[in-house]
Order: sequence, then C-alpha cells, then structure tokens
Amino acid sequence: MAQHVLTPCEKYQREGHEWDRLVVKRKDTDGVETVVGHSQIRKDAIAKATGTAQYGADVNFPGQLYGACTRSPHPHARILSVNTEKARAVPGVRVVITGKDYPEPYGQFIADQPIIALDKVRYQGETVAAVAAETEEAAREAASLVEVEYELLPVVNSIEDSIKNETLIHEDWSRYECSSACFPEQGTNIGDSFHLNKGDVEKGFAEADLIVESKFLCGQLQHTLIETHTATAQANPYTKEIDVWTPNQSPFSIRGLIAKIFGVPTEKVRLIMTDIGGGFGGKYEAKCEPIAVALSLKAGGRPVKLTYDRHEEFEATVCRSTVQYYIKTGVKKDGTLTAQLVTGYWDAGAYVTTNPRVDYNAGFAAVGPYKVPNVKIDTYVCMTNRTLGTAYRGFGVTEAATLHEHQMDIVARKLHMEPLKLRLQNCLHDGDYGVSGDLIMTCAVDECLRAAAENIGWDKLPDRWVDEEGNLCGKGIACFNKLTGTPSTTSCVVKMNENGSLFIWSASREMGQGVTTTLPQFAAESMHMDLDRISVAPVDTTVTPYDKTTTSSRSTFHSGNAVLEACEDIKKQLCKLASIKWSCDENDVTYTDEGYIQRISDAEQRIHIHDVGKSGIMHEQLPVIAIGRYGTSDIFDPPPVDGRQSSRPTVMWMIGAQAAVVKVNPITGLVKVTKMGAAHDIGKAINPTGCLQQIEGAIVMGIGHALMEEMIYEDGNLRNGNMVDYKVPTFMDSDVETKITLVENGHPEGPYGVKGIGEPGLVPTAAAIANAVCHACNTDFDSLPIKPEHILFRKEVND
Amino acid sequence: MQYVEINVTVNGELYNKTVPANKTLLRFLREDLFLNGVKEGCNEGECGAFTVLVDGEPMNSCLVLAAELNGREVLTVEGLAQDGRLHPLQEAFIEAGAIQCGYCTPGMLMSAVALLNRYPHPTRAQIRKEMEGNICRCTGYTRIADAVLLAVEKMDTAEKNQSPQRNQKVLAGTKK
Repeated sequence: MAQHVLTPCEKYQREGHEWDRLVVKRKDTDGVETVVGHSQIRKDAIAKATGTAQYGADVNFPGQLYGACTRSPHPHARILSVNTEKARAVPGVRVVITGKDYPEPYGQFIADQPIIALDKVRYQGETVAAVAAETEEAAREAASLVEVEYELLPVVNSIEDSIKNETLIHEDWSRYECSSACFPEQGTNIGDSFHLNKGDVEKGFAEADLIVESKFLCGQLQHTLIETHTATAQANPYTKEIDVWTPNQSPFSIRGLIAKIFGVPTEKVRLIMTDIGGGFGGKYEAKCEPIAVALSLKAGGRPVKLTYDRHEEFEATVCRSTVQYYIKTGVKKDGTLTAQLVTGYWDAGAYVTTNPRVDYNAGFAAVGPYKVPNVKIDTYVCMTNRTLGTAYRGFGVTEAATLHEHQMDIVARKLHMEPLKLRLQNCLHDGDYGVSGDLIMTCAVDECLRAAAENIGWDKLPDRWVDEEGNLCGKGIACFNKLTGTPSTTSCVVKMNENGSLFIWSASREMGQGVTTTLPQFAAESMHMDLDRISVAPVDTTVTPYDKTTTSSRSTFHSGNAVLEACEDIKKQLCKLASIKWSCDENDVTYTDEGYIQRISDAEQRIHIHDVGKSGIMHEQLPVIAIGRYGTSDIFDPPPVDGRQSSRPTVMWMIGAQAAVVKVNPITGLVKVTKMGAAHDIGKAINPTGCLQQIEGAIVMGIGHALMEEMIYEDGNLRNGNMVDYKVPTFMDSDVETKITLVENGHPEGPYGVKGIGEPGLVPTAAAIANAVCHACNTDFDSLPIKPEHILFRKEVND
Repeated sequence: MQYVEINVTVNGELYNKTVPANKTLLRFLREDLFLNGVKEGCNEGECGAFTVLVDGEPMNSCLVLAAELNGREVLTVEGLAQDGRLHPLQEAFIEAGAIQCGYCTPGMLMSAVALLNRYPHPTRAQIRKEMEGNICRCTGYTRIADAVLLAVEKMDTAEKNQSPQRNQKVLAGTKK
C-alpha cells in the first residue's frame, strides 16, 4: 500500500483555543525563499517513528562482549589496592582492567582525569575497575566482586569547603598537561578562573544613586537523557586500529582524546556515529568510549559494548554545576545602569572537564544584554568531590541570565520602576558597545522583550494579584545574550550521486535539533532542488570532514555556510560538464535561480537539476564532488585573559526573552506555570517548526530547572540519583499556554541570515519563572529550584 | 538458571522460545526477537521508553518477565505499520512535529495506542494523564498531544471514508 504524503501540520486546535505559536517579525530577511523558511518534515522522522532508528545501544556485533564498571562508593579516598581475582573467576569473564592498565590522563582543557581511577577516587561512582564478559550479567557480577581497599579522605562537598583549600582534590596541578585556555591555581582547589574588566567599576559605583547587592544560587542538574551513555568498541591490539560506535556530540574531539589516551595516531581511531537519544551537552565528553576501547584492546580485539544504567548515568557521567553568584549593581535614579560587579563560584565536581568553557561563556553573559559602562566579573571553577560538571544546553549562560534578571527585578523594585521599562531603558541596540567593548550588530533584544511581554498580555497584568481560588499570581520577564564558541571551524563535502541526488557529508550531529533537515534545506534552496533528493550521509570520522563539535548552537550557522559554499562549487562543476556535452565554452553555461544548467548564448539548451542524472552529462566524466569550509578564526579578536576586552569575541550573539505567568498555592507551596511568552531573535527560521520545537521543549525543560530538578548531595553522597527521586517535567507539567514569536533579524554572516536556537530557548525560562514566582510571593527567592518549602517559609520583602 | 518455554504472539507472529526465568520482556524483545524499537531508559519503570502493549494494555517491559508471557499477545512499535504503510499515529507524530531525538517516540506511540483503545476521542487532559508515565526531554509534550488529536482526526476521516482497517489497527494487540 502506498505511503501517505506527509505534510507538516502546524497550529493544531487546543481545547478550543488556537494558541498562536508562530509569529514571525521580519526585520532584514526577505522571505522569498522556497525551501528555507518553510516548515519541513524532519528527515529522521520516519526511522524514529517506526523504531528503526539506530541508537547507541542498538549496535550489536557477532562475538561481542559486554562491559561493566566497578565504581567507588566513596567520594574521596586513596586507593590502597585493587584485587581482581574473584572477578576474573566468574564464568564468562574475559578481561578485568584497572587504572594501571591505561594510566594516561585526559581532559579537553587540562589532562587531569584517568579513564579508570589510579591512585585515588575523587567522586562517588568513579570507575576503579572495568570488566568485559560474555554476558552483561556476568560482567556486572564480576564488577561487583572486584575488591578495592580504600583509605578515606576528607570530603569536599560544597563550594564553601572547596575555597577553604584545606583538602585538595588535585594536590599538584602542575603534573597535568594544560591547554592555554585553562588557569588552575597551584595549591588550591581552583581549576580555572575568568576575569573581565570593562571601564572602572569603582567610578561607576561612585556615579550611582543606588547600589543594589544580591546573590543567587543555581542548583546542580542532571541532563537526564532518556538514552543513557553507551559505546561499542572494536580495537585491534596489534594494528592499533580502533573503531567506536557511539551516540556522541563531538566525534572529532573524542577521536583526538582516544588517540592520545591509547597513544595511537589520530587516523587509526574511527568514530562511527549512531543516532543520539538526547544530547543537551551531556554527550559532549568521552565517557563510555575510552573504557570500551581499553576492554576491547585487552580482549584481543573482540567488540565490547558498554552501556551505563540510570544510576551510573546520575552519579558517574556529567551534570550541570552548581553556581553561587554575588552581584552588585550601581544605578542612577532614572534607571540608568552605571556599574556591575559579579563574582561567581562553580561547583565543578572532581575533574575540570569543560568547566573553563562554561565559565567563559557565562562570564561574557553575566551582565546580560544591557549597556553597562563599568563591569568587573570574577568567576572561579572550584573543585569538589561531586560528579563532573559540563555543558548543559547553554554553557552556563542560563545560570548567568537567572542572576542578572533576578537582580534587574530587585533594582526595578527599589527604584519603583516597572521591570520591563527598566530593561528596555538599558538594553543594547545596534551601535552600542557590549561587555567586551565589542560593537553590537543585529541585536533585537528590545523587540524580543516587547514581543515576549505581549505574548502573555504583560501590560494588562499587575505585578502580582490573588485569583478567585486564593492563589498568589505573578508575572516575570527575562532576557539574555549568548555568544557562540568562536573561533571554530567546520567543513563538509557535497557529493552528487550518479542519479543526480546529493549527499552531504557533515559531522554536525543530529540529536533532535534537526540539523540533518536544515542542512539539506540550504542545499535545496541553493540548487533549487527537491529536498527529498538531498540527505546527510552517516557520520564516520574516516570519511566525514572535520567539524569542531555539535555544541554552542553553532551547527546551522557554521555548517550551513559550508554547505552553501560547496553547492556553489557543485553548480560550477555541473556547468563545466554541460559545456563538455554541448561542446561549448564553459563560460557560456550558467546555473539559473530556477535550477537550470543553461547555455547563455542559447537559453533553449538547458538541463534542470532534477534531470541531471538522466541527461548524461556526468557519464564517464569527473565525479561531481565539492568541499565547503567555514571558520571564524579570521574575524575573531582573541579576548586577552587580563580583562577579556575584544572587538569580536563571538561571530554572533544570540538574543531572546521570555515572560511567565505563575500561580502559587499558598497552602501547598506548589507553583503552576500558566503562561509562557517567548520571543527569540533567530536571524532566520530555516525550518520554522524545528525552531518552535526547540523553544517549546526548552520551556518545559526550564520549568523543571526552575521548580523541580536538583541533585542532592550529602558529604559527597548523591541522595537522589534515579528517576524516581530526581523529578523531571512530565506530560502533566506541559499544560502551559505558550506563545512564541520568532524574530528574524538576519545576521550578515549567517547563511540566509541564520543565528542559533538550540540552546537559547532554555536560557531565559527559569529566570522568567523565578521572577514571576518572586513577584507572586513578594519575596526575593535567591536560589533555584524554588521548591514548596521555600514558598511556605518565605520572607516577604518590605522595601 | 531456570529456563521457561513460552508461546508468545508478538506483532501478530507466534514465537516458541525458551527463555531464562529472570529475563525481562524488554531484553527478550531486543535480544531474542531483535525488536530494537523498545528502548531501555532506566530499567525501573520510570522513563516510559520501554512501553509495549500486552493484550492491549500498556506495560513496563523492563519490569515484566518474558516467562510470564506464555499465551499472551505483545504489540511493539514495529507492529504498528502495516503493509509498509504507517499507522495514523505514526503519521501524526511525524506531521505534528512530535519527534525530536526520537528515543522516547516508540514508547510514546505505544502509550498513545493504549490511550486511544481506552478513549477513542480523548481530551487534552486525558492525553496528559494517560501518557504521564512517558518522559520526553526534547519536545515539551504539547506536540505529542497535538499528534494524538491529529491521529484521531485522521482515523475519524478514514472511518467516514469507509476504510475500516485503519481503526482495527489501533485495536491490534487487544485480546479478542
């Protein structure tokens, strides 16, 4: 039976109300495109809807062994001995390895982490031994029989403990190989720090009529990806050829790490990427991959599959760090900001991992999208005996936005100003100078603030009110700016198949954000070609060209540019082939906007792109294949470490705002988010449904961050490391009237004007909700999540 | 290890298998029948990615033993499409944009089939309540509810156009 033709369906009726999710406000882009800017069915949708998509754990090989890890029950302890005798005796066990087998430490910024703990363990759940066996049961049983003798060490459980430096997690930073982007302080628990200075904050405070000081803490979060970490490795111990199948966000950085850990040339390491069951930064680091490789090497090259269970996922993968911020703001009576001082401490966990990048991105975002002439930001990556902090959808900018937006509301209250008005008065416009002294371009924070407010009916609502059921109600708003990782480079290959269809080889990974649909859209638009004939090829580091990582909301911008460059080349090659066929000069052939390869001197002589395959122009000719490259090293002005002033710290700023309406039950302390209004400057919506998906999903994720989610540690022991006790939003939390505006304020360097939207949807959500709850309760809640006990024991403000 | 012989119907096919007594339905489906659409997310019944139908009722396949399934009928996501044509719910999930990373999708679809078995014309409140055991981290759920309503519309239209097999399929997996 024939398949139905599937078409995107937007604006579905919801209980009688049509909630308008898509309002496009165009500023610069023209909107004349035929593929770009139109909602498309996702390329990966049918495989995912039929259960045939292949995720990490769906990969299996004949002769495959199963891996399992022995984990430390202690958060901080010296390893005195590891006895693997009983483990080796379990029937079916083939290999047991310990830290001594592969002692080479790794780390993106500083190589401080062994793949298996060597001399001591630094967090609960750290791997102390690993097993490969014929069955998963045998592997797990053997792992539980590895005997480890520990000498317990004092536990650094919090930022306060960490900065005392009485117990050091890493005794000697100088032993580790360290990149030029990481600044650990010898003899302390500080793994890195960030310092930004603009103007003179003391002068700014002297000019102010009012100084406001506050603090804010964002709790520790787990990504809670539904697909846990997994990897299957086949590593030949003789040739040192290493193959790894994994659902990872950064194939090339993991390839480099594995090559280094195992001392093999980079080209011998092959990463074959499976579908990813949720990324959000959680699959950016090497977790299962090196351990699976180590086991396979020791097992004579048999494939080894290592999959973490949910408990391991919580305690032994990665998380979003806790951060404690302090902020001091100077403001004039009329609401003009004069100075802002921010100090922050990240609870980075036991190893540095990606925290320097989180700290850096958050640092550039810590005063928000506001004109502040005098700024000082000092933040520190503090090591503790907790699980490892890493990127989590926004690289720290979500936490920074929560800080500055909470502060803006306090400032507004003390000045008796309307919160939105204070923001509009201070927000950045084109031509202003940003926090690093950079000239601001294509900045629509004003439009976003107004649109987000309008989307909840801001002007008609008071700051707080009590509804007929006695609930405390309030509204809140928040805006943000976020940089993207700069400099970074990407490349792609576009190849025409014999039938005239196109393959794009790009390592921008599909993890639900839709990049395997948007990249073909660019090619389809450029070539004037049917989208069905273009697809992204599977990603394999031996053939797929380099892309830095799939992070930082960079893929559509960077890889889109690369695809467009390659498509221009494809057009030229096709014109050349046509000229050979037509025996004419190649300059006499052009590629038209309608997708015709056409003779200039005779418009009758032409081939449409859809007919190229059967036209015969490619027959026995050189293959049609093109390279596209894009990088931002040339436009980047490296921000120096002393003050981080730079004319171009980022190729683009992502901008947006969200507003929330909440009702708080004063008896139970439960908060219900009733309305969310969002407005994001996305530059250009390539696949509008895809943009909305990102924002809608982020809003519900942000409800969890604002009101529910928190990893709870006591003395380094994780108390809620499972999905029963760690609550993420469910279907029942999704009943939120949501209205989203996509602001298309085209970026001159973005393909078709695009910016990024993967992370931004989440950045202002928790901040807007927290502000609404603060208004509803007339209380300055100074930490997230805001839980019922905080509400029931609140202290109302009286200034 | 004790082994149990079972006769179980999965997606309309009868299987005679001998399984270890402690093997979960999830692992039986994945490892013995190669039905990888059923996903492991937490192995403790919290995430919903493991949802399959047993005699028409949604089950946590990670908490049910394969040995318990003798004589019973199991439906997984692989059994939804028929004759190469997608089930209306699958079509609707795709069209309404209810899929992002897709890892929760098979479980969501199976919960949606169970929901429609129970409430052929569900309200949004019923959808939320019946499907709350399925966690999705990407979509924010609203489009999944949209998709269920769109599927209902599709099935109603198909019924009006006298194409009864569309509706029968939703009820597949219900013990006759």
